[in-house]
Amino acid sequence: MSTETSRLARLTESLGLDADNEWPSVVRERLISYGLLGVYVFVVWFPIYYILITSFKPTSEVLSLPITFFPHDATIQNYVDIFNNRPFELYTFNSLVVASTTTVIVVTLGTLSGYTFSRYDFLGNKALLLSIIAARMIPPIALIVPFFQIMSQPPLIGGITGSLYDTRIALILTYTFFNLPFAVWIMKNYFDGVPESLDEQAKVDGCSTWEGFVKIILPVAKPGIAATAILAFIFSWNEFVFALVLTSSEQAQTLPIAVSLFVADDFVDWAHLAAGGMIAALPGILFGLFFQRYIVSGLTQGAVKE
Amino acid sequence: MTESRHSLRRRLDKLFVPLTIGPTLLWIAGIIIYPTAKLLWSSLFFTNPITGQKEFVGLRNFQRLLLGDGGALLNPNFVSFTKNTLVYVGFSVSISFLLGLGIAILLNKDLKGRGWLRTAVIVPWILPYVMSGLMWRWMFQAQYGAINGVLVQSGLIPNKIAFLSDGTLAMMALIIADVWVFTPFIIIILLAGLQNVPEQLYDAAEVDGASSWSRFWNVTYPFLKPSILVALTIRIIFDIRALDLVWVMTQGGPGTETEVWASWLYRTAQVFNKPGEGAALGVVMLAVTFAIVAVLYKIFGETPYET
Repeated sequence: MSTETSRLARLTESLGLDADNEWPSVVRERLISYGLLGVYVFVVWFPIYYILITSFKPTSEVLSLPITFFPHDATIQNYVDIFNNRPFELYTFNSLVVASTTTVIVVTLGTLSGYTFSRYDFLGNKALLLSIIAARMIPPIALIVPFFQIMSQPPLIGGITGSLYDTRIALILTYTFFNLPFAVWIMKNYFDGVPESLDEQAKVDGCSTWEGFVKIILPVAKPGIAATAILAFIFSWNEFVFALVLTSSEQAQTLPIAVSLFVADDFVDWAHLAAGGMIAALPGILFGLFFQRYIVSGLTQGAVKE
Repeated sequence: MTESRHSLRRRLDKLFVPLTIGPTLLWIAGIIIYPTAKLLWSSLFFTNPITGQKEFVGLRNFQRLLLGDGGALLNPNFVSFTKNTLVYVGFSVSISFLLGLGIAILLNKDLKGRGWLRTAVIVPWILPYVMSGLMWRWMFQAQYGAINGVLVQSGLIPNKIAFLSDGTLAMMALIIADVWVFTPFIIIILLAGLQNVPEQLYDAAEVDGASSWSRFWNVTYPFLKPSILVALTIRIIFDIRALDLVWVMTQGGPGTETEVWASWLYRTAQVFNKPGEGAALGVVMLAVTFAIVAVLYKIFGETPYET
C-alpha cells in the first residue's frame, strides 16, 4: 500500500505536480507531450537498434526468416571479421588523422579570425565576412570536378612530386575548405557575446593584444571553441562524397568509404556492413550523448544571431 | 633589452589584425576562387574520354545539358531529373520542417528529462550520412528488412514489398530517410529560436485568453521567423546538393526514377567521365542555389547572417 502511494507520489512529482491544486489539464497536456516525444524517439532509434542487432547476428541469422528483433545467437564475430579480412584499422586511422588535423587547423584559424572580425572595424571587414559565408553557400558537389582535377595534378610548389590524389592531405585540404567559413562564423558570434570590458581590463593590466587574447579571452571562449571543434570533427569524420572522389586505396580511404565498400553490385554483406557502420557511427553517437549541449549551442550561435 | 622587447611587442600588436585573419583569408581565397574559376572554365571544354584531350566548346555543354541532342524543346533527362529533385527536396523539406517544428515546440516545454530527450532526437543527424543511407536500405530491404518484417509478421500486409524496386516507393523511401536524418537539424535551430520568445508574452496572451493557434501566430511566429529562414535555407541548399543518401540507397534507380541533380552530376562527371558536362551542371546548380537564397532573403526581407 505504502509503495503504491509512494509510486504515485513519484509519478506526480516526475510530471512536475508538487501539489494537488494543479489543473488536471496540465497533467493531460504533459502526458500527451511525453507520449508524442516517446513515439518520436522510438521511431528515431529503431533503425539504429536494428543495425546494432544486425551487427551482432551471425550471417545465418541475418539471412533467415522470420526476421528476429532480438538476436538469438549474439556474436562479435562480425567485428572480428572486418578487422581480419579488411584493413579496418587503416580506415579508422585515416579517419582519425583526417578529422583531427582538419579540426586543429579549422579551430586555430577560425578562432583567430573570428576574434578579429568581432573586435576590429577595419576596411571591408563586413564584405570579407559576408564573402566567407557566401563561400559556404557554394554547393560542394558543384566543386567535385575542379577538386578532382586540382588534386590529380602535381602541385604548383616544386620539390613535392606527384599529385595529391589518394592522399590524406587532399582530404584535409578539402574538409578545411568546407569547415573553416563555418568556424569563423561561430567564433565571431561567440566573441560578440564576450564583453569588451574584458579586453580593456587586460590592456589596463598591461597585457599586449596577443597576451590579452591568449590569457584572458581564450579561456572565456572555451565553450565556443569546443562547439566548433566537435562540429568540425564530426563533419570531417562523416564526409563521404569527396572521400569517394579523391581517394582510391586504403592509404587514404576513410571509414564511410570502407562501409560503402561492403555493397557489391548485386550483393550486400549486411552483417559485416552493420558492424562497420557501427564503428563509423561511434563518434557521432558518443559526441551526441556527451556533448549534445555544445553541439546545440555551437550550431545555434553559428546560425541564428539573437 | 627592455626597449627592444617593447618595440617587438608593439610591432606584433600592430600586426594583430593581419596576422589573425590573413591565413584564413588566404586559405579561403586560394581554395575558393581557384576551384570556382576552374569550375566555370571546365564547363567550357569537352574532354575526350579515351585520349583525355581537351577541346574548347564554348557553351555547348550547357546547350546539351538543357536542350539535349535531339529536336526536343528541352533535354528530357534534364526535365525528369529536375522533377525528381523537386519532389525529393519539396517533400523532404516540408515534412521535416513540420515535424521538426512540432517536436521543437514539445521539447521547449518545461518537461523533466528534456536534456535526455534532446540528446535522443539529435543523434540521427550526427551519424555519417552514408551509414544512415545504408541503414535505411537495410530497413527497406525486400526479404530481410525490418519494415517488411514488422508489416508482414504483424499481419498488416500479406506479402513483402520490394520498396526499392518501384520508382514511387523508392522515392518515398529516400524521403523517409532524408526526413529521419535532417529533422534533428530543424529541431535544433527552431528550439534556439523558441528560446528567444520572452516568457511574459505567453503569460500576457494567456491572460487575454488567446487560443493556442493565435498564441503561436502572434507571439511565437514573429520571434521564430529568423530561425525558420535559416532552417529552410540551409535545408533546401543541402538537399539539392546532397548525394550521400541517394547514392547509397538507390543510386538513382530503379532505372532513373530517383535520379536527382546531385547523383546525375556525380554520374556524368565521375562514372561517365564527362567532366565538361558535369561542370556545366555544377554551374547550373550554383546559379540555382544562389537564386533560391536570394528569393528567400527577398521574401523574408532580412538576412539571417546579420552583421
